Amino acid sequence: MTLTGGFEPHPAGELATYRGYLDGHRRVLEAKCDGLRPEQLAAPSVPPSDLSLLGLVRHLARVEHYWFRMVIDGHLEETRLDADDPTGGFHSIAPTPESVAEAFARWDEQTAYADACLDQLTDADLGGVRRDRHGQDLTVREVLVHLIEEYARHNGHADLLRERLGG
Amino acid sequence: MAYNGMFLPPEADPRKDGGAVGELATYRDYLTNYRLTLELKCRDLTPEQLAARSVAPSTMSLLGLVRHMAYVEHSWFQRGFQGRLEEPRPFTSPDDPDVEFNGAVGTQECVDEAFATWREQVAAADAWLDTRTDADMDAQITYNSGGDTASARDLLVHMIEEYARHCGHADLLRECIDGRTGQ
Repeated sequence: MTLTGGFEPHPAGELATYRGYLDGHRRVLEAKCDGLRPEQLAAPSVPPSDLSLLGLVRHLARVEHYWFRMVIDGHLEETRLDADDPTGGFHSIAPTPESVAEAFARWDEQTAYADACLDQLTDADLGGVRRDRHGQDLTVREVLVHLIEEYARHNGHADLLRERLGG
Repeated sequence: MAYNGMFLPPEADPRKDGGAVGELATYRDYLTNYRLTLELKCRDLTPEQLAARSVAPSTMSLLGLVRHMAYVEHSWFQRGFQGRLEEPRPFTSPDDPDVEFNGAVGTQECVDEAFATWREQVAAADAWLDTRTDADMDAQITYNSGGDTASARDLLVHMIEEYARHCGHADLLRECIDGRTGQ
């Protein structure tokens, strides 16, 4: 059984709550990958799905880059990570130590950027409006709650991918 | 895949695409969208398919998830937020802590009961949410009989992430049943 575990309260305040959830989900994904060999990390262990844990790590680096760097910080002129991959980072994953190291280094880099971006925000900024690449306006709050739910959904994938690999 | 990876054309997707103003409205939109996502993941399946443990060894099924979310909605919105500890809890058993999942069987009766109970809990949750405003989000809620407290905000974001995570499970359960992805 793969349940989401017990609820632990987060620090008071709106931004602090979002940061607590985001950090928590990053740690869950890290834990789901813990102790696995490169070929296990790259394995699509719930076929016919082509998802793998390493694909999720690559995808979430791309997601962090898009929302924090390109949308919240307004650099829409930049190119998305894995822009040449129509699956958004899920394909072309080599089951090698180099590929694993590269994916985690890139994810670490993006989460560090994201955290620095979040350090500049306060609760008063959460109603501020940003524009996404489709030209749609949305609040910083919507972006942050979206990041939490996107991580959470992918961690649901990670739960079942990992269960198939043992543990 | 048709429709950019989705199985429904954009105009047929009942979910809202952003644009909420204010904190509570943002949470409600995400919560509503995830309830709709779970429902969409269950669409066009037989009772047997809904009850299938399609990602073994996991004991999860789509029907088990619907039963579980009925339980979760009741746990947080009735018990947690409103302290209604005396009400019977949906899909619980003294003999089996995982009865939501273990008791999901592929009969029309079980499917009907699960969806009716879930919809009832969603309606009750929404009725309570209608009474809240952004000013209530910092309120400290004593959410269990042990006296633990958290902000209303914290509990609502938890509801969203719990639905989201289970919809991640639903994604793979569904793909393993008939290959359908998207939404």
